[in-house]
Amino acid sequence: MTHAPSRVLVIVGTVVAVLGTATAGSAADRYLWNLPPGFPTPRVPADNPMSREKAVLGRFLFYDTRLSGNQTQSCASCHLQALAFTDGLPQGVGSTGEVHPRSSMSLTNVAYNATQTWANPLLLTLEQQALIPMFGEFPVELGLSGMEDELLRRLAADARYRRLFGEAFPAANPPAAVGTIVRGLASFIRTLISGTAPYDRWVQGVDESALSASAMRGGRLFFSEQLECFHCHGGFNFAASTAFEGKPFDEAPFHNNGLYNIDATGAYPPDNTGVHGITGKDADMGAFRAPTLRNIALTAPYMHDGSIATLDEVIDHYAAGGRTIADGPYAGVGHDNPHKSGFVRGFTLTPQDRQDLLTFLHSLTDVDFVTTPHLSNPFRPVACVGDCNYDATVTVNELVAAVGVGLSSATLATCFVADRSADGEVTIDELVTATGAALNGCPP
Amino acid sequence: MSLRHLTQLTAAMLFAGTTIGVATSHATEGLDAAGRCVGDQNDDGTVTINELIVGVNNALDGCAYQPVTINFRAAVGSESFACGSTYNGIGTTGATIEPSDFRFYVSDVRLVTADGTEVAVQLDQDGIWQLDDVALLDFENKDAPCTNGTTQTNGTVRGRVPMGEYTGLRFALGVPPDKNHQDASVAQSPLNLTGMFWSWQDGYKFVRIDTANDQLRIHVGSTGCVYGEPGQVSGCARPNRAEIRLAPFDASSNTVVADLAALLADSDITANQPATPPGCMASPDDQDCAPMLRNLGLHFPEGLPNFVTQKFFRVE
Repeated sequence: MTHAPSRVLVIVGTVVAVLGTATAGSAADRYLWNLPPGFPTPRVPADNPMSREKAVLGRFLFYDTRLSGNQTQSCASCHLQALAFTDGLPQGVGSTGEVHPRSSMSLTNVAYNATQTWANPLLLTLEQQALIPMFGEFPVELGLSGMEDELLRRLAADARYRRLFGEAFPAANPPAAVGTIVRGLASFIRTLISGTAPYDRWVQGVDESALSASAMRGGRLFFSEQLECFHCHGGFNFAASTAFEGKPFDEAPFHNNGLYNIDATGAYPPDNTGVHGITGKDADMGAFRAPTLRNIALTAPYMHDGSIATLDEVIDHYAAGGRTIADGPYAGVGHDNPHKSGFVRGFTLTPQDRQDLLTFLHSLTDVDFVTTPHLSNPFRPVACVGDCNYDATVTVNELVAAVGVGLSSATLATCFVADRSADGEVTIDELVTATGAALNGCPP
Repeated sequence: MSLRHLTQLTAAMLFAGTTIGVATSHATEGLDAAGRCVGDQNDDGTVTINELIVGVNNALDGCAYQPVTINFRAAVGSESFACGSTYNGIGTTGATIEPSDFRFYVSDVRLVTADGTEVAVQLDQDGIWQLDDVALLDFENKDAPCTNGTTQTNGTVRGRVPMGEYTGLRFALGVPPDKNHQDASVAQSPLNLTGMFWSWQDGYKFVRIDTANDQLRIHVGSTGCVYGEPGQVSGCARPNRAEIRLAPFDASSNTVVADLAALLADSDITANQPATPPGCMASPDDQDCAPMLRNLGLHFPEGLPNFVTQKFFRVE
């Protein structure tokens, strides 16, 4: 140490004194979304209002392998931040190795989805949705069915979780339960908001050069009646199936995009028939929710079953107005699927048009979203004790926050990176380390 | 003439020709804590002679309820079900199975009098197995291969019925519509068991019977459910909630046997329709479901009750 211990104590003492006059943040404060300009406020279930405490708890749960039956997988195993919370696989693979019939969906902006998952008109909330990967059995994903008592025992054994649950759900008894786990997870997942792509900087007028001439031309094609992309992928979220505060009507459209047409009857592979799998109605055969195209360049392979490898081939598919499969059990001319959306008619593009369209789609990639430490794995070793906002410096305000956590006058969620030992407490030793970082800078 | 009839007559004579209305000048006298007219059992604002006679009978006999316990047993043919046991001669091919789960919900439990009148069984609210009018019957004890289950088991439905002679038993196999689409993550027991969640259908598995090594799974619940108001299920295209009618049935001496061998009697469990789960997840497109759901007392694929065809339950 380059400084005398007495000096450290003086600083800590000063911080404590400052804290005495500071007002600790209250969980009842209105939640600050920090939304990109032009983004509406997501709709949140009345029984699960947002709070920082729930979102931080949910972030731990999201990245925690204790949330699978055999403790090999977490939510993040199939939803990797670097891939806009997808997994790069054609189809998801669960904790027991079972292959999911569908591709892991991007979690980009799912707070705005009118319905969740690929094709289920019954799943309106992320709280409902979370139960399926946790407890679903066909296929097994996290594999927790029938293991709720074991799961709660695992979490209860962790002192940090005891504090996080208690502070996120002070009125719940017990604080850690299936209901609070899914509410915490949903709260974190609602914070996965992407709106700082080059396209956004251009739209907001903050950077006229954010879009190249090629991207601008591609954008015009995207929003044209020739290509019709925007009908299903329109609006601020590039998705028509959108709900938010103040939007009175719930639109939850599903579309058949001509991916299959088995035996010319319009059929899709029998284990993957879209909304039809829920309703049993012929008209719903092959109907899936059109997901957001934000970060689409990062989420290959494409379609509900990962059956198209690249964005270029996706454009081929839509240019043809449906996919033709020449032989095999799924052979058929998707273009002629009787249930196909009227917007999937086909179009022709010059090579330059195609390149422009691809360039535009790449302009929806939000590098900050896929790299920000605020959404990253909180179980990684703390890089800089007390650096609550991950900016590689520890300020006096952050020291105040850390002391507040130590004195339990502030919640652990306000600065859990001050708790390097992960025991749910901020000790004098940890405050000394944080103070050292404040004085000497964060470790390189 | 018995004392009972004398008393009834006296009561009737006393009030004959008089309608006791609630809207009199007696103000709140005669009203109970809920503001209802005491003795006005059907809450129509008048106390009739018949209602008086019921009240007098109760005065003479005491409020005449009797406890009732309905015993259930899980079986596979002639043998009782137990986790870890294997059973031969199952289905049309005489296959062998090793069941790994055996649970189902019952609701709307009724006893039936000799003249065919249904009388609801008021279930004891035990905080574990019975909630309002739903009960979970659970025959697995978590011993291998039933690892998905719970150590606790339950083979009875307990409640009370008015004193009387009953000769039949009826119940619905499943969770009633008003409870089937709730937020399962905060539901009360026995609707809080994740093994019985059927979240992708926004409901519960009414029946859950599995076998080891994924040979066969039978998960039956309502499908094709739709929202009226957002988040409020207004109905299900295929309720899959069977009506079970058993008679003669005497709760004091009989047991209801749920027989997996009978359920599978018309199935070839060694075959499975391609691209469907092994067994039956109540999909209307899975023909493997047809004989199973029929034996559960359901029309296939409509999912409506057909108690005539049910074979799963019998009385012993």
